[in-house]
Amino acid sequence: MTEKESLQLISQMIQNTQKRVEKNCGTPFLIWGYTTVFISLAIWFLLRETGNYQWNFLWFALPIIGFPATLWVSRKNESMVKNYIDRVVSYVWIVFGVSAFFVSILAMFYRVPILFMVLLLMGMGTALTGMIIRFKVLMIAGFVGLASSVSCLLVKGENLILVFAAIFVIMMIVPGHLLNRAASKK
Amino acid sequence: MFKELNPLLHSELRLAVMSLLISVEEADFVYIREQTRATAGNLSVQIDKLNNAGYVKVTKTFKGKMPCTICQITPEGVKAFEEYVEALKSYIGI
Repeated sequence: MTEKESLQLISQMIQNTQKRVEKNCGTPFLIWGYTTVFISLAIWFLLRETGNYQWNFLWFALPIIGFPATLWVSRKNESMVKNYIDRVVSYVWIVFGVSAFFVSILAMFYRVPILFMVLLLMGMGTALTGMIIRFKVLMIAGFVGLASSVSCLLVKGENLILVFAAIFVIMMIVPGHLLNRAASKK
Repeated sequence: MFKELNPLLHSELRLAVMSLLISVEEADFVYIREQTRATAGNLSVQIDKLNNAGYVKVTKTFKGKMPCTICQITPEGVKAFEEYVEALKSYIGI
């Protein structure tokens, strides 16, 4: 092997590892997106029909369903290679996930605009993920979610939950499907 | 003045493995085999050599019920790889 061939081999191998999107990488967005939308609609319906605010405890079904489902899917689709991008993306979601959970607990004791804060945090996480993996649709969806979170401060009553669910469709479900489609094309 | 090329790295398959591992956190045996297009037997022997030299850390684990071999480059491996690239530069005149 000559010196030039060595250099060519090195650069070719490094290039091979420069993946951006991977098969099923949009699935966590779909899990959290669909779970949030279904639970939101259920709570909205129950609140409207019964007027009993105890139904708000159903929000805690979100992490109960979301975390195990995400873990199960990521184990099932475990990648054969892990790079720095994978690590950074998982750190981003650990930070934003813990923050959202912390804010939700706080909302049990103090009056905080919880839906606004959750949307803001999830929008930030989504936009950051989009920038890190260089997937524009995800980045834009994240910023749209982030900006639209303000609407949760303006809308009053139970309809606020509908706005929250609609933003989750735009912020997570749509880019999640597009991400999976782009990944399977690759 | 030409620097000496590390003979352990100056082999096509071992260099390919090191180049792959330098740019990722970890990779499993099947992925490395696919990328290098080497046979499992040959790749296993070369990874063993890199492991014995302390350049690569090999972890045997399971993915579900399937055995899985995970490879990671060690700090010694990174240093050896950087020295190898520096030596290459002296030959090419960069």
